[in-house]
Amino acid sequence: MKLKQGSFLWYLYLDKLYCLLSVRNVKALLEYFHLLDVHHNNTLNDVLFYHFLRHVTSWKRTQIMIVFNMLDWNAMGEIGFDQFYMLVCILLAQQNHLEEQFIFRHSRPVFELLDLDGELRIGADHFHMYNFLFNIKKQELRELYHDFDITGDRRLNYKEFKLFTIFTMDKYQEKQKAEKEQGKTAPLKKKRPHRFILSSKLF
Amino acid sequence: MLIQELNSYQSRSSYKDTRNLWTRATLSQPKLNVPRSKICDDSDAEGSSLGSKTRRGYSRKAGREPGDLHGHLSLEMELRRGSILGSHLEEDVDSKTETEVSSSESWLSMSRHTPHGAYWIEQQNRLPLPLMEVVENEALEILTKALWSEDGPDHFLTKHLQRYIEGLKRRRSKRLHLVMY
Repeated sequence: MKLKQGSFLWYLYLDKLYCLLSVRNVKALLEYFHLLDVHHNNTLNDVLFYHFLRHVTSWKRTQIMIVFNMLDWNAMGEIGFDQFYMLVCILLAQQNHLEEQFIFRHSRPVFELLDLDGELRIGADHFHMYNFLFNIKKQELRELYHDFDITGDRRLNYKEFKLFTIFTMDKYQEKQKAEKEQGKTAPLKKKRPHRFILSSKLF
Repeated sequence: MLIQELNSYQSRSSYKDTRNLWTRATLSQPKLNVPRSKICDDSDAEGSSLGSKTRRGYSRKAGREPGDLHGHLSLEMELRRGSILGSHLEEDVDSKTETEVSSSESWLSMSRHTPHGAYWIEQQNRLPLPLMEVVENEALEILTKALWSEDGPDHFLTKHLQRYIEGLKRRRSKRLHLVMY
């Protein structure tokens, strides 16, 4: 998923540590929300919500309606600013490749969103349904349930889910370290072939 | 140490001043080597600030829990909503823009010595200007597409949407007219 370049959300950013918007960004987002709140209910109905996401993201209709049903946790057919704010944070986390960090920092609300039935457990099918939100691949999902389903009921409770978020955060940080080190050694490696070519030309 | 400071701050029930919380969050950015145990202990509390109205917590009222950043943000924004929207909007944006440009240099120089320095630096960071024009134009595009997709032209919600779009367009042309002259 990519945010539409030049759209309002495209200009926003998350705090690096807490993966939340700054106060100023929230204020601007609230103005945006109120402009879209045509009927002055402090909510967006499904039509407005659909057109908003269709405009700013590359999601299809089915994906948008899945997200709407997920956020409309009171089944009112409308979503309020709280849910809208959470959605924007998820979109920005995806846009800036901060999914692991976002899930780690906000594991409880993410767990509650994925726990559609309210059973305090997430099945693999629910996770799979929302993998486009958090960019979790099928193989990773299989590993997740294999490694972290400690109780063996083929579903994750909150503690198991939390362990998963800690593990993915560790992996993410190691990957970042490795990328940084690669960036440092790459310029040195580039020079060697050039020297070799020069020396071969001389002889 | 950072998490202890945050907790002590929250216990002093000064959560109403959201700038303090934000400032501490920003100042914490370089300190990424905080022990994981402290982050894990604190992450549930922070997570609850984002999900203050998730399914389980939906019955909680906004802004009633210490450390519920999003909760009291929503309350604060609600109170300010009436004063910001409507015909005063353009005036606020214009005056705000002029004030920001003229005082930007003085603010930056004072940022080190004033409290909430990081907050005021953030105030000077630019979203595209004029911000409200970008936001309004985009909202207008989205709402116009929504209107075209409506099946019932005589439905009161469709008519309401149509009137609202016309109001937005009038406000936009009025603002453009003021800018030109």
